[in-house]
Parts: sequence; structure tokens; C-alpha cells
Amino acid sequence: MRWVAADVEMFQKAAEYVDTVIVPLLPVSFDAEMKQHASMAEFTGLLTTQLEKQFRGRIFLFPGFVYMKDEVDSLIALNHWENTLLEKQFHHIFYVTSDSSWRQREKDLKGNVLWIPSLSLDQMQDEQKRTIVEEQVKQLLPLFIELWNEK
Amino acid sequence: MSKHRVSRRQFLSYTLTGVGGFMAAGMLMPMVRFAVDPVLKGEDTGDFIATPLKTTDINTEPQKVNFKFKQKDAWYESEETGTAWVFKNEAGEIVALSPVCKHLGCIVDWGTDKEHPEQFFCPCHYGRYEKDGTNVPGTPPLAPLDVYPTKEKDGFLYVGKAEPRKGA
Repeated sequence: MRWVAADVEMFQKAAEYVDTVIVPLLPVSFDAEMKQHASMAEFTGLLTTQLEKQFRGRIFLFPGFVYMKDEVDSLIALNHWENTLLEKQFHHIFYVTSDSSWRQREKDLKGNVLWIPSLSLDQMQDEQKRTIVEEQVKQLLPLFIELWNEK
Repeated sequence: MSKHRVSRRQFLSYTLTGVGGFMAAGMLMPMVRFAVDPVLKGEDTGDFIATPLKTTDINTEPQKVNFKFKQKDAWYESEETGTAWVFKNEAGEIVALSPVCKHLGCIVDWGTDKEHPEQFFCPCHYGRYEKDGTNVPGTPPLAPLDVYPTKEKDGFLYVGKAEPRKGA
């Protein structure tokens, strides 16, 4: 389910079936890395949309968690998100990001960080983009299924 | 010469009937066309979408086929990829099932559940469907998988808009 009114309505009717959230982590900056961060957001967006399509009935895809790259408090802010989500009925949290700094910070988070190196998609044909993202998604699917099977 | 002579009165009544008939037909024909329009539309096959699958390649084992179609969402038109599970049933007919789980809309897969290799399986809440798309009672889905109407053209499979079926 996505963060749109129609899906939220569906979620409220079937909340007990939805126990997993995906939160894309999207860095923003205005310096040399600006373009790189934009393509990260593009890539992460496509990837999470495809993931949501596969697992629509059990996953809630939240709008991205956007932060300034040099902001030191982003971890605290994300911890706050995390606590709120876990207080609700969500059991599993996945953070999807291309920002490698979250790998070091994963120990301070209760959710799983899926760090996926970003590819610049702006030079690619649509067909190529689709194949690449679908390949990536295919490799991520077992991660979710395994985690669900643990319980 | 013929003995049957046409009087002036008869000639005029014949011509008037003829011309009047044409005029009436001219008015009625479009009306009739409008009235039966939905019937004529039914034969229109523009809604079928081509798939890259040759009908000769379809066998009894369900296979996944992707096809592309245009979707319009308010202002934004995008190219979406649709998927169908295609196989031949025991009667030899081509069946194309929608992969969208009728429970909460996840994507089902064929034979991924080890205990039930001959069924469609939904990884989200372990919903299962028989090969013909019927939902297995006792699993979360309450309706069978949607079915695409199919047709063959130039050796390739074409699918229409997925339609729901009655529950098991």
C-alpha cells in the first residue's frame, strides 16, 4: 500500500494483515553531490515502488524520509519515526537507501537498512531502467519472505 | 403498348410515397444506428493488448508473460507492465490468469510453496489458488483469480481486461 487516500482506506480495513513498512531514506544537498543525491532519490523511488507492487497487501510504503545530508540530527528524527511505527502494529521496518552513511548507523536502528548502491538512470532507455530495477527487486524479494517466515 | 395506363393521380401518389419513404428512411436510419450502437461496439477488439507470447509456445505448465499498456492517471500517462499466467487447461483451451491476489493485491507466483507445488501461492499471507485460479478454502483469499479474455492474432496471444469470477 502506498501513501495515498485510497490505500490508507484499504489499510484501515485490513490493518492486521499489514505488519511491514518500507521507508525510503533520501538525502538532499546543494553542493557537488546534488546531482548524485537526486539520482539516488530517483532510483530509490523506482525500486520501492516496484517492491510495493509485489507485496502490496503486506507492506506499507511510506513517503520518503528526507533529510539534509549535513544534518546531524537525522538519526534522532528517524528514531522517532521508528518508535511511532513500532508502537502501531508494525513489526518489521525496512529502510531503503543509497546513502552509505546509514550502514554505520544501522546498529542504532531497530529496522533493517537495505543499502543499494544507486545507478544513474538518467542516461538509460526506459526498457533498460525497467529491467535493471526488476532484477534488483527480484533479489530483494527473498529477504522479505525469509523475515516473514521466521515467525 | 400496355393496356395498363397510369393516371396522373396514381403517378403522383407513387412518386410521393417513394420520396416520402426515402425521407423517412433518412431520418430513421441514424436513430436506429444510435439505438443499437452498444451492440456494434461489442465487436470492437481495440481493447486487446498484444503479448510477446506465441500461442504455439503455450503448454500445460503456467508461464509468466509480461505485456505493456498505457495507463492514464489524471494528467500523467505512463506505460505500465501487466503480467498474466498463461497455460492450456485439460480441454486444450488457453487460460490467462491475473497474478494479483484477491486478498490484498500482492503478486502470486506459481509453485513457490514447497508443500503445494501445483498451486499458485501468495507470499504475503500464504494464500493459495488451484491451477484453474480457484481459491483454496481456508486460505485468506475469498475469490478466484481474475481471468483475462484471450484471443489469437497472427500467432500471438492477445489479452483483454481482466474480469473477476464468482467465488468458490
